[in-house]
Amino acid sequence: MSDLANEEKIKADLEKEFHGAVSNAVVQRRNRVWLDAEAARLPEILAWLKARGLNHLATVTGFDEGENLGASYHITDTKILVTVKVKTPRAEPTLPSVLASFPGALSYERELEDMLGIKIAGLPAGRRYPLPDDFPTGQYPLRKDWKFVPPAGETEAK
Amino acid sequence: MSKITIPFGPQHPALKEPENFMLVLEGEQISGATINLGYNHRGMEKAAEDRTYIQNLYLIERVCGICSHSHTTCYITNVEELAKAEVPQRALAIRTLFGELERVHSHLLWLGVAGYEMGFETLFMYTWRDREQVLDCLELLSGNRVHYSINTIGGVRRDITAEQKAEVKKRIKYLEERTQYYIKLATGEPTVLARTQDVGRLPYDVAIERGAVGPTARASGVARDVRKDDPYLIYSQLDFKVITHNTNDVFGRLVVRALELVESYKLIHQILDGLPEGPIAVKVPWKLPAGEAVNHYEAPRGEDIHYLKANGTDKPERLKVRAPTLANLQSVAYMLEGGWLADVPLVIAAIDPCMSCTDRAAVWNPEKGRTEVYSWEEMRKLGIEHYKRRGVDFGRL
Repeated sequence: MSDLANEEKIKADLEKEFHGAVSNAVVQRRNRVWLDAEAARLPEILAWLKARGLNHLATVTGFDEGENLGASYHITDTKILVTVKVKTPRAEPTLPSVLASFPGALSYERELEDMLGIKIAGLPAGRRYPLPDDFPTGQYPLRKDWKFVPPAGETEAK
Repeated sequence: MSKITIPFGPQHPALKEPENFMLVLEGEQISGATINLGYNHRGMEKAAEDRTYIQNLYLIERVCGICSHSHTTCYITNVEELAKAEVPQRALAIRTLFGELERVHSHLLWLGVAGYEMGFETLFMYTWRDREQVLDCLELLSGNRVHYSINTIGGVRRDITAEQKAEVKKRIKYLEERTQYYIKLATGEPTVLARTQDVGRLPYDVAIERGAVGPTARASGVARDVRKDDPYLIYSQLDFKVITHNTNDVFGRLVVRALELVESYKLIHQILDGLPEGPIAVKVPWKLPAGEAVNHYEAPRGEDIHYLKANGTDKPERLKVRAPTLANLQSVAYMLEGGWLADVPLVIAAIDPCMSCTDRAAVWNPEKGRTEVYSWEEMRKLGIEHYKRRGVDFGRL
């Protein structure tokens, strides 16, 4: 396993530092580490990773798993890519904002609010992204139960 | 001096694609800028969940017309990783070749756009003429100039013959000579220097803080390149340099791209000379086992990242695409602040923005349930009301 020493070390350090808040950590292959985390401690974990030199939040993938919604934060120093996965109950989906350590995450967090309806605690007021201003409220296109219904009478352009 | 907010875009003669900047001006100087996006959102991530992996290949190719190969390569790397497919070396080499040809055509295109924005239209004419050479190479090899469709799951769709190899090398040789001229121009021509130096500054810390990628970040001294840091395809076997610059301005972004062209030519020669023999594709099952994969790719504009989750069927559970422009736009707001209004088009162009990459979700209002055609008067009214809500009154005009 010596060629995966860096990856194993990040995993072990995370498990030690955030004992109890981090689970299912795996080194998938070279340069890829995956883990599940407690949503409440997400900003802390991200700040810790940033201090370790993984200071680029590449993107955030929101997802819908039925009972839970959630998001995967892909953090990297362009070499090692760590994916931190957090979940939040569908009934009241809320995740803490990570803007304190990653100001560049603004559009990713707005996207979570817009496309999946996950409330981001601590996100400053501003224009929505990426849906238009007059998009109906309470509709979240990336949720699995949201279906695209073509407008009545519209035929596909041939 | 009183402040005035003016909207720049989404439709503006100086912008090539729809995006909106609300600029707060004090005289001619910008004191604040906010960016609004979403005008191109086409719902691709949602659409991908309804399509099979092979159908998605054609959808993902259309994320962008310039880095179509970047997106498909990033996507199929994920698919092949989950399918545990052993892609032949020759196929990987051909993909790398297309990746570099694409970088050349994209950087030449950018040089032209930058020349145009700084009022140096001869440069635009020159680089776009020369760009035809590389587009011809792509057409020769794939049959297409823009959406090359060379990738398929498990390999590539077309092989390269010895004649094609010689023709590509001939054209690249011509481009190498031309690029030396562009480098001379970019670093010595007074018009270029006057228009680019100290314009749109982005210091190293801010570039890191705001997550800038690609040439935009490298021009601020951030030595990051996925090809070097997390090598994919056959980049670990190739010899090239990561180009950085430390002037943190539009000039730096110009130099980085011009010198990257030279590195790409070097790579193209290496790939063509050392093209491994063997098959160009393997069969991959239609259904992927459940699992997750995430991969990044150094597109011409910077790091492109795709995440894929498979659920055991022939369609993805979730596909996420983050194109480089979205990562760079947070930096643009910073670059504009404190700058001059006249520099805005150049500063925006300097990150080489690509809006169709950035916006990818469809917008449709299910409550109305029909397609509406606006008359000119209605359209105008809509626009005036829209901006009124945001504090700008165009009603008097």
